[in-house]
Amino acid sequence: MKIFIDPPNSLILFDLVERSGHEPLSTMAAIQEKIDRTEIDMPPMNLSLEDVMLGLKYAGIEVPSGVRGRLAVWGPMIEAAEAAVIMEDCPYSFGCVGCHRANLMVRYMIKRKNIPVLNVNYPNNEDEATDLVVEIREFLEGLK
Amino acid sequence: MSAERETRLIVISPASEITPDQVSRAIHAMGKNVTVKESCYGAVVEGQRDIVRQVVSEIKSMDPNGVFSKVRAYPAGDPRRCRAHHGTRPGFAQLEQEWNDLWKIQYGLDRADRGEKARKRKTPGKLPVGEFKKICEVKR
Repeated sequence: MKIFIDPPNSLILFDLVERSGHEPLSTMAAIQEKIDRTEIDMPPMNLSLEDVMLGLKYAGIEVPSGVRGRLAVWGPMIEAAEAAVIMEDCPYSFGCVGCHRANLMVRYMIKRKNIPVLNVNYPNNEDEATDLVVEIREFLEGLK
Repeated sequence: MSAERETRLIVISPASEITPDQVSRAIHAMGKNVTVKESCYGAVVEGQRDIVRQVVSEIKSMDPNGVFSKVRAYPAGDPRRCRAHHGTRPGFAQLEQEWNDLWKIQYGLDRADRGEKARKRKTPGKLPVGEFKKICEVKR
């Protein structure tokens, strides 16, 4: 199954989802397609016209361009997702820190999609890390 | 560049006994048609998707809970990202943060393999009215 991970660039979540035999939907894979297929200078910093139009699908024109640019990458991933794993209470420097509004919009879109969602806490010690690993494993095994 | 290209970061947990040198030597010894770049956190592997995945799974078998991997968007040595070409590395802060946490995840995976269960989470209860008033500074 295709699992959306939030933060979408997380190594820990990507690896744990892949270990369970599912396909993680990550920012890296989405940007790789843009690097390989489109002739633009430095994605995701530079966009094509298609990206701009795609961003407008998820947020209005009055919304800051940064939110729309991020949603142009994450929106199609959320649409393709069959389940999601969200990490909460992360430190400030963890994940995509550029725009909190875009992150809130992602949570809202996941909620509206009505797919199975697991909310886990960021592990601050060994016990919390065990909880995180076990919870993710049980959730993903239950999806099969 | 082919759409079948895959670039993978192999990241070694700080608690693992494997070194980046061992990883890159092991990949070279496999004799597969992939590019390997040794780095401080592990290695970058690039090549055809199925071959790269095969290489990553073989490397993970060296230390199943101590080696982690994720996809990287830019190719290895790309001048827009490679520091040798004065490229920017906007993703390195995230990678560094997660590398610092990998020992905890490794510990968690070891314990999960031994069959440990997750502790019950404390669900946040309702806020009593008295406390809420104190927060709002309504009660005088």
